[in-house]
Amino acid sequence: MRRTILRATAAMAATALVLTGCGRGGGDDEDGATAPGVTKEPCPDAVDQDKGCIYLGTISDLTGGFKAVGVPLTAGGKAFWQHVNENGGIGDYEVDVTKYVKDNKYDPETHAQVFSEIKGDVFAIAQSLGTVATETMLKDNDSKDLVVIPATLGSNWYFEDRVLEIGTSYCGEAMNAVDYGVDELGAKKVAAVHFPGDYGDDAAVGAKIAAEKRGATFTDIPTGPGADQQAAAVQAVMKSQADVVVVATGPLELAAVVGGAVKSGFKGKFIGSIPTWNAALLDSPAGPAIEASYLWATSFPLWDTDSEGFKAMREANGNQPPNAYFALGWSGGYIMKTALEKAVDDGDLTRAGLLKAATSMTSVDSEGMLPEGSGNYAGDANEAAVRVTQLAAPKKGSGSGVTESVDFFTGPTLKDYDFKEACYLQK
Amino acid sequence: MSTRVKGRPELYTAYAQDMAFLNTRSKQVGVLVVVIAAAVLPLTVSDDLLKILGTGLVLAIGAIGLNLLTGFAGQVSLGHAFFVAVGAYTASAIAGDPDGRALGLGITFVPVWIIGAGLVAALAGAIVAPLATRLRGLYLAVVTLGLVIIGGYAFTEWKDLSGGAQVGRDAPKPVVLGADLTIDGAYTQEQKLYWLFLVVLVICAIFARNIARSKIGRAFAAVRDRDVAAGVMGVELSKYKLIAFVLSSFYAGVCGSLLFVANGHFGPERFSGGHGLLLSVQFIAMILIGGVATVSGSIMGALLIALLPRIASELPSFLPFITTAANEHPNIFEIEVATYGLLIIVFLLFEPRGLFGIWHRVRTYWKSFPFSY
Repeated sequence: MRRTILRATAAMAATALVLTGCGRGGGDDEDGATAPGVTKEPCPDAVDQDKGCIYLGTISDLTGGFKAVGVPLTAGGKAFWQHVNENGGIGDYEVDVTKYVKDNKYDPETHAQVFSEIKGDVFAIAQSLGTVATETMLKDNDSKDLVVIPATLGSNWYFEDRVLEIGTSYCGEAMNAVDYGVDELGAKKVAAVHFPGDYGDDAAVGAKIAAEKRGATFTDIPTGPGADQQAAAVQAVMKSQADVVVVATGPLELAAVVGGAVKSGFKGKFIGSIPTWNAALLDSPAGPAIEASYLWATSFPLWDTDSEGFKAMREANGNQPPNAYFALGWSGGYIMKTALEKAVDDGDLTRAGLLKAATSMTSVDSEGMLPEGSGNYAGDANEAAVRVTQLAAPKKGSGSGVTESVDFFTGPTLKDYDFKEACYLQK
Repeated sequence: MSTRVKGRPELYTAYAQDMAFLNTRSKQVGVLVVVIAAAVLPLTVSDDLLKILGTGLVLAIGAIGLNLLTGFAGQVSLGHAFFVAVGAYTASAIAGDPDGRALGLGITFVPVWIIGAGLVAALAGAIVAPLATRLRGLYLAVVTLGLVIIGGYAFTEWKDLSGGAQVGRDAPKPVVLGADLTIDGAYTQEQKLYWLFLVVLVICAIFARNIARSKIGRAFAAVRDRDVAAGVMGVELSKYKLIAFVLSSFYAGVCGSLLFVANGHFGPERFSGGHGLLLSVQFIAMILIGGVATVSGSIMGALLIALLPRIASELPSFLPFITTAANEHPNIFEIEVATYGLLIIVFLLFEPRGLFGIWHRVRTYWKSFPFSY
């Protein structure tokens, strides 16, 4: 018996030595690469085989509750970089966003897990969907210098250098919506129907700040997801007698609330955040009500806009139906493109170099696809904040189902608003 | 006290020998080999896999807890996720930043928040235990499911504690002897955290094994096999059901305290609605897949459940004709979701006795080698 133990111990020691001897590969520089995700080898689907490749990761919701957002965003990003590569790439490199696409199922733990699978292979993250999920990813020790384009518009990203936010935040958009309501519709009573959390609360707090500043009364109406769960919200909207209702939910909830309220005799206006809109709503039973009393607040130019970027994007979209998220996926690319070009120009194609390039950007050439004031990450939160909003009215048969109703404007509340912390944290 | 007879490992001459912690030499050697192999694993395995295995080790603590309650004492509980949540929030609150947005006491000493989480969860278990004296079987399972629903609601609404829906709060920082384990040094964060989790798991597993072979463990088995008969034999039912719940919840609390340490941040969605129920069901699956009423089975089951998403995501890459573009159908992400479900079905269909059953067959084969048939 003792001999068995001896033999076992010896075998174990040997195994241990072999195992430790193997090593773990680690992040050693391969073929002269400057950083993870940057190779001298061409991209898998390279246009120009002589160029190197920069790999960008995408971690989005491809099968979970927000796949209607994540899937077109991802497709838009892919189309954008294809377009960039066909037009000469970035310096001596092309960019690949197709090899490292991961599904987070809208779950922060899955997000962190898949990030750790690709973190040694990607240079930056071209799209990260979900606020908690993105924050979780940024806690990783290996994301110290990671540049990320978020797929959420919370006002929290003003306060995170590594995250290059795009567009006006939900909070700012709601302020503009309320200002518009007070100035143009003579609103005295304002309400906000919203989901809890980083998205809905952000808009609700913005609406509340604006309502208080403009002397309107404010009614807070939190609600949960589910089209069949909105009866209480409809009732609360009617009871509030609001003239303007800011909505920050999903499209299904929007249809239920607007449809229900209009049926009950609601006479005011609903103004919805970006995620409330889906062109398919026009064909739903609530379609006529939505067409009559809903406006979509967005800081991004509409699908039919006549600009170089939009032309290329529409061409890339081919005969697929127009999709606002596809456009967003495309336009977010300009930010990353500008940062990458700057890092290449600086001769510092490392993660730290990219972060430095990104945080010294003051503007972006987006070929007419991003709102005025975009791409300024050099200053503080207030300089970074984009403050314009336009309101679009649903209209059957037009591009993405909406047509411009009120041109880009900045209301008096948002104009001077001092962002000190994320709006949703003030809830 | 009797001595062992050389060359006759299975000849017991005393009751104490039979009930020993590891009662055969091969078990002693086997456990030693496994523990050492587990300890050197981080030196060879890549970080992303270590992260999964680390989560598996933490889940194993919770699975051992549920196995004490369900496997050993026979009380089916679907409320395990609730106790895990209590542990996660207690630990975060004890270790949290006192000046932070969410509740925090600022006590960062690791054993304090791990044990504190266990104790508060155990207290919650003690409050729930009287239910088990009135109900049994599926009725108990459904009632404990109610805990997950109540807890999910309470944690979402208690913003000072949880940070609120879709916002969340930070998990405790594991600072051991002045070193923050989430910062890369000579070893990466994944390696260091894996070792921390392994140490806690080994302590928990030894403790559980000792409970199982003590008077309490024998009482649990009696209650499980037939509670009325156990009562007739003089086993105080309410007392032992209480002990089972308290112990199981303690383990769940310890599991919860460590579950988010690697990621550093978590939201109440993890424990509310479908996610909370799923976590409870996953714990049941761990002990069923691993092996009911075994400590080693709980660990194997937890590791498998933790690895399953990764296995499911690797499998579609063997099907090169399926697209990786998410806007075309069917794509690998959809196949991945289906594969996950399929693996669970296949496993329970072909291996109903769990991983422990496979191990048992292997063991029997070699025991009677070369006459195994």
